[in-house]
Amino acid sequence: MLSETLVGEVLSRARLGGADYAELYVERWRRRSLRMLSGEVKEAASGLEYGAGLRLLYGSEVVYAYTNDLSAQSLLELTETMVKLKGRAGQVDAQGRGGLDFRKQAAQGLHAPEVPLSAKDRRYRLERLLEAEAAARVAPEIKQVQTQLLEWDQEVLVATSEGKWVEDRRVRTRYVVTAIAQGEAGMQTGSVGPGKSVGLELFELYPPGMVGRQAGEQAMTNLRAKPAPAGTMPVVIGNAFGGVIFHEALGHLLETTSVAKKASVLCDKLGEKVASPCVTYIDDGTTPHGWGSSEFDDEGLATERTVLIENGVLKSYMVDRWGAWRTGLRPTGSGRRQDYTFAPTSRMRNTFIAPGDTPKEKLFEGIEFGLYAKDMGGGQVKPGSGEYNFAVKEAYIIRRGRIEEPVRGAMLVGKGPDSISKIAAVSSDLETAPGMCGSLSGSLPVEVGQPHLLISEIVVGGQA
Amino acid sequence: MNFEEAKDYLLQKARAMGLEAEVLATETREMSLSAFEGRLEEITQATQGGIGVRVVVEGKVGYAYTEEKTPEALDWVMQEAYENALLQTGGDAFIPAGSALGRHDLLGEGLSAALEEKQAAALAVEATLRQDARVKQVPRTAYQEQEVEVVLGSTKGASGGYRAGVSVLMGSAILEGGGAPKQSWNVDASREFHALEPGKTALELIERTARLLDARPLKTGKYRAYFEPKAFAQLLGVISFLFSAKNVLEGKSLLAGKVGEQVASGLVTIVDDPTLPGGIASRPFDAEGTPSRPLVIIENGLLKSFAHNSETARKMGVESTGHAQRGYKGVLGVGHSNLFLKPGAGVRLEEGVLVTEMMGLHAGANPISGDFSLQALGLKLEGGEVAYAVENFTVAGNLLTLLQSISAVGSELEWEYWGMALGAPMVEVAELSFAGA
Repeated sequence: MLSETLVGEVLSRARLGGADYAELYVERWRRRSLRMLSGEVKEAASGLEYGAGLRLLYGSEVVYAYTNDLSAQSLLELTETMVKLKGRAGQVDAQGRGGLDFRKQAAQGLHAPEVPLSAKDRRYRLERLLEAEAAARVAPEIKQVQTQLLEWDQEVLVATSEGKWVEDRRVRTRYVVTAIAQGEAGMQTGSVGPGKSVGLELFELYPPGMVGRQAGEQAMTNLRAKPAPAGTMPVVIGNAFGGVIFHEALGHLLETTSVAKKASVLCDKLGEKVASPCVTYIDDGTTPHGWGSSEFDDEGLATERTVLIENGVLKSYMVDRWGAWRTGLRPTGSGRRQDYTFAPTSRMRNTFIAPGDTPKEKLFEGIEFGLYAKDMGGGQVKPGSGEYNFAVKEAYIIRRGRIEEPVRGAMLVGKGPDSISKIAAVSSDLETAPGMCGSLSGSLPVEVGQPHLLISEIVVGGQA
Repeated sequence: MNFEEAKDYLLQKARAMGLEAEVLATETREMSLSAFEGRLEEITQATQGGIGVRVVVEGKVGYAYTEEKTPEALDWVMQEAYENALLQTGGDAFIPAGSALGRHDLLGEGLSAALEEKQAAALAVEATLRQDARVKQVPRTAYQEQEVEVVLGSTKGASGGYRAGVSVLMGSAILEGGGAPKQSWNVDASREFHALEPGKTALELIERTARLLDARPLKTGKYRAYFEPKAFAQLLGVISFLFSAKNVLEGKSLLAGKVGEQVASGLVTIVDDPTLPGGIASRPFDAEGTPSRPLVIIENGLLKSFAHNSETARKMGVESTGHAQRGYKGVLGVGHSNLFLKPGAGVRLEEGVLVTEMMGLHAGANPISGDFSLQALGLKLEGGEVAYAVENFTVAGNLLTLLQSISAVGSELEWEYWGMALGAPMVEVAELSFAGA
């Protein structure tokens, strides 16, 4: 996207200005979105994003600048301004002299789409969404169905003063079906949204008929649901998006962004027991076609599979370059950013609880009164206190070991380290699901996952 | 090409293709200075912008945008927008007739202080926080500013632009003392750098966080609830979804069909005022060029009006209220500016739970069903006094029921900045469900 000479010149100038490390990130990103409501196309949009972010590290101090004027003049001026911001203009660091000899690496296409963005006409997309909508209308009470399709094709270049030159391409597709059911009790919603690092073959992997029906059925379940009970009780959490609880309760606490500043309740705990022994927690950026996968991270490092917790013992944090500098730990290919407008920070990729060996049915046995949180919404955490929450999208009462009536509007709250020590059993049915995670370096695609599992007690926020 | 030239290029191209079109460009300059352990740890500087079109072809609307301003990229934008339009169902879309709107400067000298002063402000927030022995860690303090230039034009005669901006001080701190640590944020925003006070931002953060130390679990039950202004402002952000005529037309608002009806307690008056002098989200005109004016949404509990853009207004047979919202990347929507709950006679704290902060709003509040169940932090009140801090609890209810159960409204307005500006005084709600131990 930019010439090697220009990239080399920008990075060399930064080094001459005293930066220990300079990194240029360039992206060109085509996006398409389509939103339909009740059989009609409401919004169809396309976009081209194009810009660069330049990061200079002086020890652990960071100067970051971004622009979408990528002319040689603009980029060189920007570099000068950044050097001046550190008050180091005119300083010459001998290491910065001479040209850079880039070692070029290109993506192998491990997550390449079968159906690229340009293939299939717009009608094809529209028909798949109509199919999903028809399937979502499972009952006359389904008054509205919204379907949305997002297609991303992002080309990335990362070049560094250490001579790294990495090109990656990330194609991601997601569609979301939201059904709105209306009855005497008011309006309730159900939604399902599969997404992968694939092209339009997503519709084959997750047939619109199936996805639509699930959304419709969830809305109907919530329509006949009573308000959730309130209080502390045992909870069985469903698989797939259920994993969002550990994304909040555990994942964010293991990012060096918080850990390096001692702003996480799990800092300085490597090698210690931090969870119940039945918990093994893995963050894997290499999962083929995972929603959060990429061959390289946004700092140009190859992604990897990082075992964070093994049988309850903390094995690793998620480490970006800045975090590595601050902590002395090895980078784990976890430096991610939403786009060129953000400097990278340590972030999750595809994070899941490994399967255990308790049969799913056994999890419910012996629960006198509790909650089955079958499907989850999003959540939030404060790493410094570990306090987290997440919303439940579909839930049922467990009474005397049996799954009984549906309830709505439950929220689970707790403190991360406390909740993970209360995981009593983990089933074997691991599934993953896509989500968007918002944090310091923006909103990113991540996968969460887990098998069904039992937490012996947790606060359930409801109304009854 | 600069944005004016790119806008002219696109409008000319639209005319040549025989299309109605509206072009919106924004150019943003940003700076962020973060302090850590007495030094400036992260400095960010940026210029960024993009241009987006809305075209109407035979009554069908399509959108496209680009951040690359080459003729090739702009040609691609027109072609994509055209094809996107053909995909649309229906045929009643239009670009509203517009007029010359002029150039406006809402920012003035607001951000004109020297870089050194801004750096000192970021460092001062951190230094003040670290002076308190209970502060265990300060993960981040920062000064941020953003200056935005908006340019609008259409083939139907709209033409104008404005400049706006905001300066922000923020801090995050972890406090320890007695039981478990507590972490909080504080964000103060203003049009004027000189109106910000680092000491105040820091001390408020400490005070708001320190009172939550030594928290106990809350016993599950129904309590009278008092929402501090910033906590209620967050809820108002979720409630604002119900006021959008776009959501009403799409069958997503519980307030559909209720204009003229009593939808809230008689103590509730909610106004959106894009003309508020010094308002963080003030604007001279909306994203379609409709001039701004204040809008009373709920008056003494009666629903007076929804917020409209030209499209929703035509469908509902009213006039646009000037609430069209669109970024260059986005599609036409409805958006509020400075939305606030008007102050009332005052609140007297008696028995119940004082909610100081809520978490999980994006997931725990469903504006379509109106149900919410949110993680809360707060204080237990007994006999008009703070008895103890409470933690690990949730507050739950329904947004409409909540509006109807408001039993007192405080007399002092505070603002929270979340993209839109949200203002609220203290609010007392007769009864809400709380879950804890």
